Amino acid sequence: MASVAESEFTLASRRRRFSRRRLGRIAAPYVLLAPAAAVVAVVLAYPLYLLGKMSFEKYGLFELIRHKGRWIGTANYSSIFHDAEFWRVVLRTIAFTAVCVSLTMVLGTAIALLLLQVGRVMRVALTTGLVLVWAIPTIVAVDLWRWMVDFEFGVANWTLTKLQLGDFIRHDWFANPWTGFGVFTALIVWGAIPFVSITVYAGLAQVPHELLEAAAIDGARPWAAFREVTLPLLKPIFVILTSLSIIWDFQVFQQIWVMLDGRPNSDYYTMAIYAFHESFQISEYGLGAAIAVVMVMFMFAATLVYLRQMLRTGEVR
Amino acid sequence: MAELEFIHVNKTYGGDTPAVRDLNLQVEEGEFVVLVGPSGCGKTTALRMVAGLEEISSGEIRIGDRVVNELAPRDRDIAMVFQNYALYPHKSVYDNLAFGLRMRKVPKEEQRKRVEEIAHKLGLADMLERRPAQLSGGQRQRVAMGRAIVREPKAFLMDEPLSNLDAKLRVQMRAEIARIQKALHVTTLYVTHDQVEAMTMGDRVAVMRDGILQQVDTPQHLYDAPANLFVASFVGSPPMNIFEAAVDADGTRLVFGETQLDVPGRVLREYAGRRVAVGIRPEEVREASSWDGARVRGSVLLVEALGAEQLVHIEVAATPLERADLVDAAAQPPGPSLGVEDLERSVTLLGRFDRHLLLTPGEAVEVAIDPRLLHFFDLETGLALPTVDAPLVAGVAG
Amino acid sequence: MSSVTQIAPTPVAPVVTRPRARKRLRKAGWNALGLLVLVVMVFPVYWMVATAFKPGHDILSYTPQWFPAHPTLSNFTDAVHQPFFWDAVKNSLIVVSVVVALSLALAFLAALALAKFNFYGRKGFIVIILGVQMVPLAALIIPLYILMSRLGQVDKLSGVIVMYLTFVLPFAVWTLRGFLLGVPKELEESAMVDGATRFGAFVRILLPLVGPGLVATSIFAFIQAWNEFIIAYVFLHTPEKQTLMVWLASFTTLRGTDWGPLMAGATLCALPVIVFFLLVQRRIAFGLTAGAVKG
Repeated sequence: MASVAESEFTLASRRRRFSRRRLGRIAAPYVLLAPAAAVVAVVLAYPLYLLGKMSFEKYGLFELIRHKGRWIGTANYSSIFHDAEFWRVVLRTIAFTAVCVSLTMVLGTAIALLLLQVGRVMRVALTTGLVLVWAIPTIVAVDLWRWMVDFEFGVANWTLTKLQLGDFIRHDWFANPWTGFGVFTALIVWGAIPFVSITVYAGLAQVPHELLEAAAIDGARPWAAFREVTLPLLKPIFVILTSLSIIWDFQVFQQIWVMLDGRPNSDYYTMAIYAFHESFQISEYGLGAAIAVVMVMFMFAATLVYLRQMLRTGEVR
Repeated sequence: MAELEFIHVNKTYGGDTPAVRDLNLQVEEGEFVVLVGPSGCGKTTALRMVAGLEEISSGEIRIGDRVVNELAPRDRDIAMVFQNYALYPHKSVYDNLAFGLRMRKVPKEEQRKRVEEIAHKLGLADMLERRPAQLSGGQRQRVAMGRAIVREPKAFLMDEPLSNLDAKLRVQMRAEIARIQKALHVTTLYVTHDQVEAMTMGDRVAVMRDGILQQVDTPQHLYDAPANLFVASFVGSPPMNIFEAAVDADGTRLVFGETQLDVPGRVLREYAGRRVAVGIRPEEVREASSWDGARVRGSVLLVEALGAEQLVHIEVAATPLERADLVDAAAQPPGPSLGVEDLERSVTLLGRFDRHLLLTPGEAVEVAIDPRLLHFFDLETGLALPTVDAPLVAGVAG
Repeated sequence: MSSVTQIAPTPVAPVVTRPRARKRLRKAGWNALGLLVLVVMVFPVYWMVATAFKPGHDILSYTPQWFPAHPTLSNFTDAVHQPFFWDAVKNSLIVVSVVVALSLALAFLAALALAKFNFYGRKGFIVIILGVQMVPLAALIIPLYILMSRLGQVDKLSGVIVMYLTFVLPFAVWTLRGFLLGVPKELEESAMVDGATRFGAFVRILLPLVGPGLVATSIFAFIQAWNEFIIAYVFLHTPEKQTLMVWLASFTTLRGTDWGPLMAGATLCALPVIVFFLLVQRRIAFGLTAGAVKG
């Protein structure tokens, strides 16, 4: 009687204490995540949503002052899709990205393979050199390339003329957008190679040497072993690097903007520059937003591939 | 004509101590030779030199009648089974098996025939489409073997292929490998650190230590007539009991603790007045009730019931071996530490006793030791003293 | 037949193998190629630094002078005396230190949650963390500007700091999570058995053990915050508020192309990052692709 009531009482209080402690434990991760999540939500998630919303609005100077856009449906999109300039920019961006990414991956992998072949001293020297290049901030890189291709005293013109590849004296690399983009390609690929080389090299070093020994015993010559054993094992790394490179190179903005003193002519527009120009220079934020949304859509495919590969390699548990 | 031969082979890495020292070994055609020894003894290095995965510092290795020192692995016509199997993870079992044939440009039809035949023989026929990750340890092992077999090489090289398997599977695969080798009659050089594996599988066993070949012989000979203290302590499980004793002035008697044993023959004549190392196998340490000869008194420390027999640890008055570096470190039974009065003056003998005997720890016991079954070794060099029963050819041979 | 070897082998004259001359030649060839690649890659950096040390007339010559014959520090003093240089240094330092400190704290907490707890939405959060790094900044800058101007955070270092945090956090959380996963659970558990609370175990046991991870993350945050240009460019209008990268970018518009001081300024801006990069290079490549290759 009394004992039954007692035991019921202790059971109930224990249950209460138990659930409060459990509640604390369940809430803990969310509490820990909250500050970081808040920052990301405010600065990233909300603006993303804003971006989408603005692309459907007219947002000029007037709207900027009033802090509110005017809904115009898909008018922004139809205006850019009907604009030949827009499609030129899209094509240019795609072509530029394709060239940059291909060169980066091919040259980067070649250098990684070279790292495998050279002696230890040279390997350390080469890796250090690569890291040095990797460390150069983008703006600094722009400045030093600007100096190298200077039309009057730049070392590029002098060297090319000396190598008898043509007369490059006083050659302005940016007068012609083709040569101009050539410079940008060189600049970007130069800066991007170290990351690819070092990552691929790390991957090459992770290939179990027993597999290569087994292949050698099985009769495979070095190139066959590379093709049959090493490459398939490196596939995940290549997928990650290529999709990252696409994502980064598609967004190129600073290099062109700073090199051309913030006044690139329309032949130099990439999608990022085009969006920026429309927004901040013409104050058509709605149009700029629409262009930006299309940009994000383009990169979405590459992002999906990247995410899928990262998840698949067991990074997410 | 030996199928595989090491001639004065040395291997040194940089300026360190040599990994393999003056190795001379012949493997006859169709023979199964096991290289065994503790880790770091050079057995794997020796194997890899045959495969061409390590450079030979000096000496020659011949396969068939060709000197292969300068040949790349793929030109040596050998096949290797690795400890971790080294199966190509992104290829199917079929492609793994066929890889070697493909590299040698064997026509597709022929490839298919050979792969399917081997797969069938190894019980892999319905797994040909699977990837290694989807196979069990034993199945992967069989694929590794199949990959070697399908190439019909001059020799098999096996680098501890069973180490990654659990105990029961290991026993099973041991027999399978031995059977396959017998059926195919392929020259095989097999490396392991497990002396049980070595003894059960090899036609001949080569014991190595610190890069030096200690002895190569049939398993039974190794057991019965070990050439030195290391081989004596390494081969046999549970390991041989080893201790020090004094020889009397005539060279006819062995003295240790309170015991004096008459030793027939001329074995100890050379060592009169000196000390020797003595070895006796656990199964020769018997319960003394029906023994006429000398007895050794001791007390029971521990009884381990094995079911079919008992392993009894008996503390006996004798001097332990001082030169511990002469024996296999891993094989020594744990010394009697807790509960023993005088560590300098007692030795634990392991005896294999009949399971029906009732023995309790602390009990005094008498063991019978037949002097004719004792092994004697020089205390300085560790070399075995020649006995009447197993005359040894001292010195370098072969 | 049994064969016995003595323990001490008698010395045998070693059979000397032929010197592998062809192999050595091949190696030399690869090394030469490596040297060529090294020179080509590093040349631009060398050229920048060399120019920074050359006096003006040596720079402005039609034939390039490969080594500075009369090295001088005048370009550096010139650059440093530019208006707003020290303001820019101050601003960059403020931004960078706050970003590093805050990102470490927030990322550690978030990484704890992701690594040590199993909760609803965990996988989704991880996907978001990875995916968020992919959003193009150039696209985002537009609504960001709108948002920040509504919040009155334009032309303010605080606004820039918060934005930088957002771009640094995902990678920081990811890296620290990786490090935390590497710490065996038994350590926390034994601490709790010994009397610590869960959180106490986190701070006292885990935090010190992921020291290297904290160092790597802080260096990464430093580099990101130091190098960033677009946000600083768009949001910081008054020259007194600008960071070093913006200062450097506006150098040419202010001075025309005064190459010597420009190169000197560029070298100075790159220096801290180079130093830190050399400290942390191996971690970065490894962290991004660890486990990608399976064998």
